[in-house]
Amino acid sequence: MAGTVIGEGLTIEGDISGDEEIVIHGNLRGRLTTSDAVTVGGTAVVGADITGASLSVAGQVTGDVTASERVDIQAGGKLVGDIKAARFTIADGASFKGNVDMEL
Amino acid sequence: MAESSVIGAGTVVSGHVRGDGSLEILGRVEGDVNVTGNVIVGASGRVRGSVSGAELSIAGHVQGDLRGTLAVLLENGARVAGDISSPRVGIAPGALARGHVQTDGEPAAAARPASAARPASAGVRPADAPRDPRRGAPAPAARPSPVAAARVAPARPNPPIQPSVAKVPARAEARPEPRKPDAPKPVAAPSAAVAPPETEFVPVRPLKVEPRRPPPPVVPVLGKGVKAKKKKLHD
Repeated sequence: MAGTVIGEGLTIEGDISGDEEIVIHGNLRGRLTTSDAVTVGGTAVVGADITGASLSVAGQVTGDVTASERVDIQAGGKLVGDIKAARFTIADGASFKGNVDMEL
Repeated sequence: MAESSVIGAGTVVSGHVRGDGSLEILGRVEGDVNVTGNVIVGASGRVRGSVSGAELSIAGHVQGDLRGTLAVLLENGARVAGDISSPRVGIAPGALARGHVQTDGEPAAAARPASAARPASAGVRPADAPRDPRRGAPAPAARPSPVAAARVAPARPNPPIQPSVAKVPARAEARPEPRKPDAPKPVAAPSAAVAPPETEFVPVRPLKVEPRRPPPPVVPVLGKGVKAKKKKLHD
């Protein structure tokens, strides 16, 4: 079960923190911290620093990412910011701009 | 339309939440929630901030005002400290509420658009009477609205009407229509029409219902809002 779902059309301005999976299809401005997986859907626009176990990006993310496991940018996804993760993939058709640090 | 959103039990949101679609809150939200769809605050949900949506269903704790354009329903186990305003307000047994409750809005007003003005004038008149010398009959009825009610509606000696008339001023402030010097008789009929929704408040605000006779319930109402706000700051 996805713990938290931010639906399309919903906007959160502020910090989200928790210990469960977070799925975003809407907008988020602020900060996102969780100990579980983070999924940014294709319709999502996120302007936030993200900390989590893993991150999957199909929408737009602007902000620094720290993941204890992995970061995946899907085709069509867009990420601008620095990434700190042990494993990192960029799919064909994804866009990315930033520094990568895989020395965790 | 937009899909529904969930704030899970292990999630804390500090900030504002707004937008389209419905929202289910099982975790904590520290900030205002403003959505166009329905809002469900589950039993584990905690909200510190005002909540507004179409239909609010509250089973958790809310410190802040509730505004539902369709309805506000407090389920068993709900704890609400704040003002509630919606055309429909439901408070289940086992729910706690502290604050000003007001049933207003389109559905209630549309049901009786013509008569709505009259209870307002009836309620305002006793308070305004001392200040307004041009007023005829009700002017001598210096203050207490029960007296005015007794004087105004002698043709309908229906005791249950009196409390409802006495309570009208609290709601009447929204639409003050003081100029109706004539027609004191129809007062009883609209107030009777207003009465049924009003009776729902009785279990909610026992403190406000007890002092029916002294007419100024408006003052404690303001005081309560201020208290709730002050408490919000302290916590």
